[in-house]
Amino acid sequence: MQDIPQTSEAPVASTSKISAKGVQVYYGDNHAIKDVDVEIEDKTVTAFIGPSGCGKSTFLRCINRMNDTIDICRVQGQILIDGEDIYDPAVDPVQLRAKVGMVFQKPNPFPKSIYDNVAYGPRIHGLARNKAELDEIVEKALRRGAIWNEVKDRLQAPGTGLSGGQQQRLCIARAIATEPEVLLMDEPCSALDPIATAQVEELIDELRQNYSVVIVTHSMQQAARVSQRTAFFHLGNLVEFGDTDKIFTTPEDPRTESYITGRIG
Amino acid sequence: MTHTSLLKQDARTAKRNRAETRFQAYGLIAIGIGMLMLMVLLTTIVSRGTGAFQQTFLTLDVTLAAAKLDKKGERNIEDIKKVSTFGYKPLLVDAFEALVESGAVQSDLKPKDMAGILSKGAEAQMRDAVLADPTLIGQTVSFDFLASGRVDGYLKDRVTRESIVNDKNISSEQLDLVDQMRDAGVLGKKFNIAFITGSDSSDARPEAAGMGVSMVGSLMMMLVVLALALPIGVAASIYLEEFAPKNWITDIIEVNISNLAAVPSIVFGILGLAVFINYMHLPNSAPLVGGLVLTLMTLPTIIISTRASLKSVPPSIRDAALGVGASKMQSVFHHVLPLAAPGILTGTIIGLAQALGETAPLLLIGMVGFIASNGPETITEGLMNPNSAMPAQIYEWAKRADPAFYERAWGGIIILLVFLITMNFIAVMLRRRFERRW
Repeated sequence: MQDIPQTSEAPVASTSKISAKGVQVYYGDNHAIKDVDVEIEDKTVTAFIGPSGCGKSTFLRCINRMNDTIDICRVQGQILIDGEDIYDPAVDPVQLRAKVGMVFQKPNPFPKSIYDNVAYGPRIHGLARNKAELDEIVEKALRRGAIWNEVKDRLQAPGTGLSGGQQQRLCIARAIATEPEVLLMDEPCSALDPIATAQVEELIDELRQNYSVVIVTHSMQQAARVSQRTAFFHLGNLVEFGDTDKIFTTPEDPRTESYITGRIG
Repeated sequence: MTHTSLLKQDARTAKRNRAETRFQAYGLIAIGIGMLMLMVLLTTIVSRGTGAFQQTFLTLDVTLAAAKLDKKGERNIEDIKKVSTFGYKPLLVDAFEALVESGAVQSDLKPKDMAGILSKGAEAQMRDAVLADPTLIGQTVSFDFLASGRVDGYLKDRVTRESIVNDKNISSEQLDLVDQMRDAGVLGKKFNIAFITGSDSSDARPEAAGMGVSMVGSLMMMLVVLALALPIGVAASIYLEEFAPKNWITDIIEVNISNLAAVPSIVFGILGLAVFINYMHLPNSAPLVGGLVLTLMTLPTIIISTRASLKSVPPSIRDAALGVGASKMQSVFHHVLPLAAPGILTGTIIGLAQALGETAPLLLIGMVGFIASNGPETITEGLMNPNSAMPAQIYEWAKRADPAFYERAWGGIIILLVFLITMNFIAVMLRRRFERRW
């Protein structure tokens, strides 16, 4: 879409953490993302909403190049993080993913102990020089993941033995243990019950102080609750992007309005 | 619409229920037939094979006369060695003569013929004992000699007085003697460990044949297979499954691996003959060559099962590892491979068990028909010296004329089956032990 209605004034390039310009994604012959421009600010929660198959998850996975693992997927255009093009041939996707953490739709702890789940990232990135430092990192990550109090007495128990909500918070702790700058969350609450969802949402709000968080969600209420900025995707197009309050109260595009009011999607 | 009662089955439901009952009956019948076949197989093997684990022994006191064994009387080991097994023959004759004189047995047979009820290996047994301990010379020593194959058959009801009418190896008088000795308690069946640990023997001494050396041959081959097929197979699978791009080349490779699994094993045998023996000049009949051939045969099995277990690891685990910034290789080696390990191990053990029972390729590289008389001393010898293998040994015995070997073939099958069942059991245990749920 050529002209995307901006509900607020265009953000200044210097304040944006992630800046996407003309991003196109193809799955084989299928044009999944069409010419998306988006500016994601630091220390903000940005929500991507839209009906199923609209490309919001695909776009999210472009930001840490998880789409590279899919053979038939091609990405065109530019995505800049701190002004650096992450699709530059010089960029190693592995290094990028250490900087851009990800939490997935289904909680996917490693079938190892809770401790090893969180310690894995710091270990492979050499963030700790000794056991004491590693312990500290693990504790800090679990505290920030708001799960420390529940698991501190059973760090050696398997991560897969936790409840769904606990597993997802463990996965969030695992993602933040490597000290990323951006945290991508792909429908992190879709497999959780309302109580676990509330806990994770609360956690997302706290994470905003340190990270730039991008969350894909199916729940508009969730987008409204946790995000400051919202982007509405439809059929691979970024239809509307702006302050969450604005999008949910006075959307400019009729498609956004239809979706929010429940007529499409 | 008429009202129908739920308490009464309508025609359609009744028909469907009958069909279901019938189908379940077919299933039970099928299982029943399978179980019956298995029972028949197992009872046949056990009833025919257990005899091989028992052998007839004759306890006899032999005076190791110094006059015959060490004429110089110096107890010089070199002098003692000069006396061949032929020189021990008179001692046996003397022992039987003494037995008759003592009145323990009555027989009109010449003592020389009496000795005919013993295995032809009896002299060698005495000689080995004397060479191991020369101080025995001059003493009277009690030996447990193997009885000849015919006598053993007589005690096992395989040989009867009718069946030996035209038999030059044994006479009715000799059997009378056997009866007397059995009644006296000096001759009887005992558990024969030599059948499990011993080596094969020549046609004339079925009573002395054992599986031991061919077991070593099989073991050596399995070592070669394990050392080659496991790393090669796992490396190939990991590459194909996790790293290789999906294009027509990998498709062709994939199809061909599946094809390779279906190639008859004898084809691998002739390949081994052409490449390993004729071209690379590796020794004939060597377990090393056998192992290489079986490696070729086992590789597809291991690759297919390894790929299946890699595939069964949920993609979310790979995503999780990549998501925290692990490289592709780290995600495979830290997470995917440990989760796939039980499946890989199971596949490997099944592949090994298959290779262990394989006979056809061994035919072509000369491991069948070879009589392995002495076990290897070192690992290198074990790999390079000609040897046989368990299934080849069984085949070898089964085709010999003397029925005494036939019994040993069944006994060999029991040993082979014990190995296979143990390996499969280990595979099942490993899978149970390490299986994870997510």
